[in-house]
Amino acid sequence: MNLTICLLMARRFVEREQIRELVEGYHGLSDQAFERTFERDKDDLRAMGVPVETGSNSPLFPDEVGYRIRRRDFELPEIDFTPAELAALGVASTVWDDARLGGQATAALAKLRASGLDPDADRVATFAPTVGAREPAFETLWQATLAGQPVAFTYRGLARVVEPWRLVNRKGAWYLIGLDRTRGEGRSYKVSRIEDAPRLAKGEVTPPDPAVVEEHVRSLTARRDTIATIAVRDGAAPDLVRFARPVGPDPEPNPDADPAAPPPPGFTAWRLRVASDPTDAAGDIAWYGADVVVLDPPELAAAVRAHLEAVAAWR
Amino acid sequence: MAMTSSSQVPRLLALVPYLQAHPDADLEATASVFDVTPRQLVADLKVLWFCGLPGGAPGDLIEVDMDALESGTIRLTNAEFLARPHRFTPEEAMSLVVALAALEEMADAELGPAVRSARAKLEGAVGGGTDKVAIAVSAGQESIRGQLADAIAAGVAVRLTYHGASRGVATTPVVDPARLGTRDGYGYLTAWAHERAGWRTYRLDRIVAVDPLEQATTDHGPAPALASGWLDDRPDAVEVTLDLRPGGRWITEYHPLVATEELPDGLLRVRMRVADPGWFRRLLLRLGPAVARVDPPQAAASAIEAAREALGGDR
Repeated sequence: MNLTICLLMARRFVEREQIRELVEGYHGLSDQAFERTFERDKDDLRAMGVPVETGSNSPLFPDEVGYRIRRRDFELPEIDFTPAELAALGVASTVWDDARLGGQATAALAKLRASGLDPDADRVATFAPTVGAREPAFETLWQATLAGQPVAFTYRGLARVVEPWRLVNRKGAWYLIGLDRTRGEGRSYKVSRIEDAPRLAKGEVTPPDPAVVEEHVRSLTARRDTIATIAVRDGAAPDLVRFARPVGPDPEPNPDADPAAPPPPGFTAWRLRVASDPTDAAGDIAWYGADVVVLDPPELAAAVRAHLEAVAAWR
Repeated sequence: MAMTSSSQVPRLLALVPYLQAHPDADLEATASVFDVTPRQLVADLKVLWFCGLPGGAPGDLIEVDMDALESGTIRLTNAEFLARPHRFTPEEAMSLVVALAALEEMADAELGPAVRSARAKLEGAVGGGTDKVAIAVSAGQESIRGQLADAIAAGVAVRLTYHGASRGVATTPVVDPARLGTRDGYGYLTAWAHERAGWRTYRLDRIVAVDPLEQATTDHGPAPALASGWLDDRPDAVEVTLDLRPGGRWITEYHPLVATEELPDGLLRVRMRVADPGWFRRLLLRLGPAVARVDPPQAAASAIEAAREALGGDR
């Protein structure tokens, strides 16, 4: 603490022996103990992100090494938050359901308060979401991703070294997207499926092509490229129909085309995007049982029928 | 310096400017801002007493009014050299940026713009790299969340139009709305359901309409917190065992399970608690051919019947 204040107050680089005289905590230490304590304190400060600079005051004697902390590099810059923005930040500091991340958010908010900005969180607390990080591997991946450092872990039985690109939360689960160095390709990993405690590894992260990262993010959600026509029992499957368009009479009917099968009585026809893989889509539609009938495409209708026949054959 | 621990120094560096921005701060309130006990805060203040300008002469050290502290008020002087907090560490800044991203998806039209601009200013202050973590929450429509927040603030009951997953049809429960929250990437409303005379949770993306009623809510005691896994410890839940082929392994990612066990031939045995028979029928319909065995067998009866009905109606 006193070392920080000492270096922060200095306009010039402070030499090692001067620091030993000036900082109360270093008095009475043997040469060896002082060296050890000073090095440790300096490393601790740098680990906290305090910019301890090394340099010399004299161009003639560049070997006389001294230390300083530039005030403008140290201090939190003025950020002009409105009261509404501060309220949002106040709520944001409460959303982590994780001790480490929650502690970091609390510390960040305390710094804002220390700069004289006091949020009034109560007004918007109704909206507070909860962000969990229950996966045991999460903390190390979070550190590695932010620090831009490779990380080693076992996934699907294989030891890997991964350059982390992005951590993504989908439906409450965390995924790591990164370059698998062992395989030389970008991959995504479900964090809950990592099989051991990840370790930070040596080396650097080569900045990825943003388009490649986006492609991996998109692949975390299933593709829905097939347009299906389905008949839904009136009033049933509202959660499916919400994402569908009603099928109206064709304004320019093609006389050569086979007329589409009409929906059964009491059913209405809808158009809907479904998973491109008919096997995946069949399960999604079988969920609704007799309330949904596939009219088109025929492959999907067949896949749903096969799917339901498997269930009907159970004893 | 030797007296301070590594987590204490960052706190002290924020505490000194905080106490200057908040003259005569309350001990308890300050402790809660820094998420420490009042006892720890007093220990911090005693360390600060030994901190100050290099040299260690009495007039150079930070002064803490110990008499005021006895009565719970913190008065700190002679610390003008440390008037602003240290910058955010990358992890602190990101903990807030990610939290704001989650909050943005829960916010209504009034709060949303402030959340977005707060995030933009924070990202601007930290410089790049804030796209390294991303989060998505399914929280339905902004207008629905706004109407619910208004009803909670005004203390009035509402009629929901709700497209639940298990019923297959829309319901219109009358509820006393209590709280919005998130769990596993989905936004939820916790509300007292009049008809069922109990607390229920409603997924926000399945609420399609909110009609405020001219009826004040009544006090039902504190709303229960959103559990991390649904169906947990429901007294009326029954345990069911499924043997799954590889195509059904996805359920381990989506449903809380009591236990899983690898069987020969690539089968996975899962034990799960089932509280809602309608939901379980649909789950079996969705899994279809991926299910090799259901135990007890009668748990599958309703799904088999539904599949036969669907196949019959399809002919």
